[in-house]
Amino acid sequence: MSVVVTPEMIGQVVISGILSGALYAMVALGLALIFGVMRVINIAHGPLLMLGAYVTFFLYSRTGMNPFLTVPLAMAALFVVGVLLQRTLVFRVVDAPELSSLLLTFGISIALVNVAQNLFTSDLRAVEYITGSWSVGGVALSKPRFIAFVFALAVTGAAFLFLKTTRLGKAIRATSQSREVALVCGIDVGRIHMLTFGLASALAAGGGALLAVIVAIQPEMGGVWTFKSFLVIVLGGAGNYPGALLGGLLLGLVEQLASLFLTTQLSEVVAYVLLVLVLLVRPTGLLGGRQT
Amino acid sequence: MTLKGTIALTLVAALAGGSLPAAAQGPIRIGASLSLTGTYAKLGKNQHEGYQLCIKELNAKGGLLGRKLDLVMYDDQSLPPTAVRLYEKLITEDKVDAVMGPYSSPVSEAAANVTEKYKKVMVAPLAATTSIFKKGRKYMFMVISPAEGYLEGLVDMAAKRGLKTVAVVNEDTLFSKAAASGAVELAKKKGLQVVFTEAYPKGNTDFSALLTKLRAANPDVVAAATYFDDAVALTRQMKELNVNPKMYGVTVGGDLPEFYDTLKQNAEYIYGATQWEHTLPYPGNQEFFDTYKKEFAHEPSYHSAAGYAGCLIYAEGVRRAGSLDADKVREALLKLELKTALSPSSGRARRRSPCGPTTSPRARRASRRRPGTHDRTRRGPRRPPPMPPPDQTAGLRRQSRRSKIPAMSETTEP
Amino acid sequence: MRLSPAVVLPALAVVLAALVLYPFVGTGYGVRAMLQIFMWIALAGSWNLISGLTGYVSFGHVAFFGAGAYTGAILVASAGWSWPVAALAGGIAAALLALFIGYPCLRLKGPYFAIAMLGLNEVLRALVSYFEGLTGGGNGLSLPTLDATRAIYYVMGVLAVAVTAMTYAIITSRFGLRLMTIREDEIAAEAMGIDTFHHKLAAFLLSAVGPGIAGALTARDQGYIEPLSVFPLAITVTMIVMVLFGGKGTVWGPVLGAAALFVIQEIVWARYPYVHPLLFGAIIVAVVLLMPRGVLGLLQLKYRLPRTI
Repeated sequence: MSVVVTPEMIGQVVISGILSGALYAMVALGLALIFGVMRVINIAHGPLLMLGAYVTFFLYSRTGMNPFLTVPLAMAALFVVGVLLQRTLVFRVVDAPELSSLLLTFGISIALVNVAQNLFTSDLRAVEYITGSWSVGGVALSKPRFIAFVFALAVTGAAFLFLKTTRLGKAIRATSQSREVALVCGIDVGRIHMLTFGLASALAAGGGALLAVIVAIQPEMGGVWTFKSFLVIVLGGAGNYPGALLGGLLLGLVEQLASLFLTTQLSEVVAYVLLVLVLLVRPTGLLGGRQT
Repeated sequence: MTLKGTIALTLVAALAGGSLPAAAQGPIRIGASLSLTGTYAKLGKNQHEGYQLCIKELNAKGGLLGRKLDLVMYDDQSLPPTAVRLYEKLITEDKVDAVMGPYSSPVSEAAANVTEKYKKVMVAPLAATTSIFKKGRKYMFMVISPAEGYLEGLVDMAAKRGLKTVAVVNEDTLFSKAAASGAVELAKKKGLQVVFTEAYPKGNTDFSALLTKLRAANPDVVAAATYFDDAVALTRQMKELNVNPKMYGVTVGGDLPEFYDTLKQNAEYIYGATQWEHTLPYPGNQEFFDTYKKEFAHEPSYHSAAGYAGCLIYAEGVRRAGSLDADKVREALLKLELKTALSPSSGRARRRSPCGPTTSPRARRASRRRPGTHDRTRRGPRRPPPMPPPDQTAGLRRQSRRSKIPAMSETTEP
Repeated sequence: MRLSPAVVLPALAVVLAALVLYPFVGTGYGVRAMLQIFMWIALAGSWNLISGLTGYVSFGHVAFFGAGAYTGAILVASAGWSWPVAALAGGIAAALLALFIGYPCLRLKGPYFAIAMLGLNEVLRALVSYFEGLTGGGNGLSLPTLDATRAIYYVMGVLAVAVTAMTYAIITSRFGLRLMTIREDEIAAEAMGIDTFHHKLAAFLLSAVGPGIAGALTARDQGYIEPLSVFPLAITVTMIVMVLFGGKGTVWGPVLGAAALFVIQEIVWARYPYVHPLLFGAIIVAVVLLMPRGVLGLLQLKYRLPRTI
């Protein structure tokens, strides 16, 4: 039973796509950072996002704190977790073949999910802080999603600024361009790796904290985010940071439009076909550099 | 090479080892695999607790046939293939005396192939899709009412109120599809026009596009065949996208206490199908509720109650048969009429081949549940409901039943 | 330590004889567990062919398993084929899928290939759910009841032996050497005149057949399949971990890894229903960190075993 698509409906889903696209971009930027600097694909990215969401949930439900103000706290908490993970486990596979890092992070990922299941239970939790929508020219603009969108843009922007202007940010970029040259220039690569992993986990946690306000959360929520972040960074060009923003918005829009014109069940198929097409034309993604 | 040989041989020995006959008069061992992890973890855990409570109580009363009961539990990770292996293990390796059903329709469907093969009676308390019980399966018993009827009450009420159009959305899995197709059938029969249908994949969290289309179809009624997570997501996003049908009902979700805990005031005025309610005046129901709450520190859901009742039903079948023999128990179960905490008489276990309207507990319960009786007890002063008046909640219940809700409503009132 | 054929062959014969006789003495669960081990050997061995030998990490290999399962199940349920023929058809369908997807995807390198394969799996699942007229969609597909576990046990056993034998044949051939050259340095391989793309494609096709047949057999044995149960990422990861545990790029590594890990999983599963994923995660981490070359890799380092083990 299909419905005739009107321009107003297209406007509605385009807005939805942009709103979720900014979140995709923020989360995927973390994955892109780790991949760019260490050539590690972090499957535990989604579960780290889940942990961030739980930080927000517990702060909100125990202390009644404004959930949007918990975003920096969740990011800080997961920064520490990320640094610890890098220091204890991940640093051992930085130079190993990609299979090792894929599997190691997968192992971490299922362990984290299981720990969360046992500590927090599998109950669905939600931060019912703000609901409803503003009506803008016949199009509904969801309040929580819009605020989350603004936060996501702000955090992503801050991350870009950090990478672009600060000494540490420059060190991170230098390490991702060439580890050897960075070493020669006196950059402590091991420390940069820890910082990168921490920063990436913080970005994931920020995404999780914002998601907690938008959707209900549970321990297994992260898996799909790992996959989507992959799509985003491959679309945009792995290791290319502005590419993550482009890829995120593109994925958000494609998913929504595919669900509108076809059906929700096929939106993933369309996103994947797009990915393969992009890779065929530009094997390193839309904004990717030369093949490594 | 010899290394590999040794491993393989040890393995063969290990696998053959478990097949020694169990001691004849030990406890009766009841085996089950449940979804303790994976997507159905939450609901599977409730069912597990239902089984545990039932067995604990039976043991306190001296057990069954003079023997104590023992529960052998595995986790099937919510995956049908794992359940198949685990039931085979329970039956042939652990040599359990009886098996109880797993959680969810797909898992039961797969596990039934094993239990039928070994001619084991399996009371499957949480498999609601009728197709599972057909296919000439002889030893499988259904406890809750069929999936196809979950949205019956909603559609029925909508028709009585003169609403004209309905949209049906569902998760694309065995149970939800059956519930949705049941709703579509019934809506057509009742003269409602089905203006929109769409399925979404399991695990979907973004309903924007689907709801945009649904809003354009402008239905009076939205019937959603959901599990829990998607019910929550759908409800929230309807608010965000200004989708305001005159009636909105879900299948699994609306009945769980957590639905209100999660959604707070957004959970109000939503219809949910339930198989059980703790305020229903069934024998032993209040006791079940209290003991359960004390034992597990949270309220039971209908999954807990169905697990509890399913186990009692099996035990009663054994008691009447006077033996654990599958065929005798099966005969006894077929004749059984039992009042349990789950319902006044729908505990009558049915083998689901002759399923007429009289065997639908929903229909029976609907007529039995006097409108408003339990509703009134749980609702304090609050805003008048916008659409359906309380005298029409038969068979379904509105999500607004706990004592803390009135307080909530008052404080949130402008 | 020298392994002479005079020792190896009789030992193999004894093991084979024990496995052939096992269904007559084992319990229902025992037979099913061995059947599962055969399945894992076939899956892990097949993954080893593409990823162990060429170094291209197929992170969606379960796609071929699922494709085979659905092909086999549809042919049995709708067209009334007998299951052994349907199983072969499942293998062929998987190979065709590999051909179709191999052309674009094998041109991708490293992580791009891994993610493309992961995506392929997700897409197949979505498509199977969508075309419900053929596949039953989310309802799954139920096959007529048939107790053929014992027959399927033998067929799956033959499949496991076939995949292992094929691995041996490839590793000892020039074709295998070329594949390993690609793994070590693809550009160098090309410079030496190896047609890398077609070599990769051939290995990819061969690695798809085993999972396809195994999928169709599993579908027949279980009697019920649904999209979520035949396309899970967990199956891919399990086969990878098995290969890694036993030793990547070896003949016996997948066999050893499949048997050992399956037994460990079954024991852990039964004992610790609530925390077994944590333990499995810990096992993965331990394998990756402590013995990245697998058990056989360690033994090879220590004892100078032949490369063909």
